[in-house]
Amino acid sequence: MNDKAFARLEEVVLDPIFPEVDVALRQGRHIDRDEGDSYAFLLDAQDTLEPFYMRYGWDLIHASDGFFYLLPRGDQLGQRHLSVGEMLVGQTLALMYLDPTTLQAGGVVQRPQLVARLAGLIGERELVSALNPRRRKYDERIAQETVRTEVGKALRGLAGLGFVEILGEEQLRLRPPLLRFAEPVRGLEDPQSALARLVAVGKAVMAVAEDAEEDEP
Amino acid sequence: MPVDSFRLIGSLHRDGASLELKTVDLCFLVALYTRANDGALTGFDEEALLDVFEQVCEVVEPGADNPRKRATHAVQRLRDQRLLSRVDGAGVVRAGEYAMTSLASAIVEFYMRDDALTRESLTLLTKTLLASLAELKTAARKATSGEDWRALVVAPLRVTVADLVAGIERRQRGLDAQQEEVQRRVGELLQAEWFDAVERCQGLLDDTTSTLAELNAVLLHDTNQMQGLLQDVEQLATTFGAVEAEEAVQRVTEQVDRVAAWGSARQCAWSEYYQYVHRFLRDIVRLDPSRALSERIRNQLAGWSERPFALVVASAASIRLLRELEGRVDRPAVVRPKRDREVPLEEVAIDLEPAELEERVRAALAAAPDSLAGVVRQVLPEVPAPRRFLAVGRIAAQVAAEANPTSARERPWVAVPGDIEIEDWHLRRNDHP
Repeated sequence: MNDKAFARLEEVVLDPIFPEVDVALRQGRHIDRDEGDSYAFLLDAQDTLEPFYMRYGWDLIHASDGFFYLLPRGDQLGQRHLSVGEMLVGQTLALMYLDPTTLQAGGVVQRPQLVARLAGLIGERELVSALNPRRRKYDERIAQETVRTEVGKALRGLAGLGFVEILGEEQLRLRPPLLRFAEPVRGLEDPQSALARLVAVGKAVMAVAEDAEEDEP
Repeated sequence: MPVDSFRLIGSLHRDGASLELKTVDLCFLVALYTRANDGALTGFDEEALLDVFEQVCEVVEPGADNPRKRATHAVQRLRDQRLLSRVDGAGVVRAGEYAMTSLASAIVEFYMRDDALTRESLTLLTKTLLASLAELKTAARKATSGEDWRALVVAPLRVTVADLVAGIERRQRGLDAQQEEVQRRVGELLQAEWFDAVERCQGLLDDTTSTLAELNAVLLHDTNQMQGLLQDVEQLATTFGAVEAEEAVQRVTEQVDRVAAWGSARQCAWSEYYQYVHRFLRDIVRLDPSRALSERIRNQLAGWSERPFALVVASAASIRLLRELEGRVDRPAVVRPKRDREVPLEEVAIDLEPAELEERVRAALAAAPDSLAGVVRQVLPEVPAPRRFLAVGRIAAQVAAEANPTSARERPWVAVPGDIEIEDWHLRRNDHP
């Protein structure tokens, strides 16, 4: 048992770091070991905070990869699912996180590397249609610009949720919560069953395709 | 940037200085350097140069055509880039003798250097440095003249002490390069062998970590002592008024600070890297020994559009903060300035003059004048002087409309009352069309 473990909820709430951590968790942020103080606080307060958040309809999850996040069990206090762009970028970043070549730079990758990897894995046209399904006509220049814009938007979203840290214009630090994107294929079971299980426990939803179409202006 | 650097940059630009070395050239330089060191040679005759090149060629490009000719070109390339210089001054009288320039030696030394800080080398350097500084302090106490300060303090500070600190810095750079090499090696080992490489990676990491920790301990301990001694020397210099010595001490102090800062910065950076790799080995490599996870994610991503799913995250709305209550301020509405749309009428006296002029012209025309000038002369004297010019125009207009005038191509200018001249028209009588 940690020396600083809290005995009562009151002590947890009165801790100076509580408001910051609480707000971050409620906004969907994943807190990992790199956020030293917040992570240590959550480790200490985990036993007290789990029942606290449960009353709001949230599960405080402590993943074995070393990060905390709140999982909504209902709509009581708000939830959302990641966008198509965030999912595609997140899975690609997870793949890069597992790549030993990323180790040399201490988990830092370049944004162009990400875009190239994403386009290589999915295909440029498929990527454009996935990121901007409303556009029917294909123009190479606009398509590439769209990809860059949507990837940038997705990265900002993922950074806000603690999956990645944006270190400047071009650099990104990959963080352990990215392994959430690997959850459906992590175990030995069939990926479809694993996904169905994740959907059943509320960790994922089957995404709805956007169907509206839009012509080039 | 110091002025000298600007001058150097300017002259390099002006002379179009550049370096372009092929691998075989570099190898040639290394071979020459080694040969010179082993044989304590100060120069090479032309034959020896060509022999060395041929030997290098046999190793790096076996089977290359015409090595003798290539050797001649290589020697010329190196001479053009000031890496080899001819030192005999015999010109065309006999074959030349050549020596490597300091630039060539520096390039080779860069590639040959494998100095990196070890606990032993660092301890040796810091202890020597401390001993030198202690001697300097003693000399500074005894210095009684500016000449003493220059000879006993400034010169050793600039040469001996600065060289020792530079030696530490150089070895630090060597260790930096070693660290980079370790990082690259860890990545390559995992890429090639994945789970089987865990133990070796761990070993590499631990070795570097302990080296850095030891070095940092030595640096922390010894740099404190160095700074203390340097402060004492600076104090003595200030008291004596030896400005040159003060400046020299400050320069060395800056170097020592840099050395100390390097230690903690590298340890901090390495600690982050160590933790990251350690976590990678523990959470990823050990838990996925067959490295199947990457392949599965790749498949998941490739098939994602057919079976799209999305992760769920919490998204509570931010707490709404109400604005502080403020006393209501009545602000006047924005309106246009009021303007009276009904402009009041004003009485204006009727100007009868145009009508009277018209009547007089008509009366004059009734008398059947034969020219415009005749009408003007009859009417104009009754018009006030300031208005005559205007009146002439009106008379001409009325005459043109009512009297059927004719005009030659060249009309004569005729004087009329009021110092005015007009172009005259001939008037035809209406009764004689």
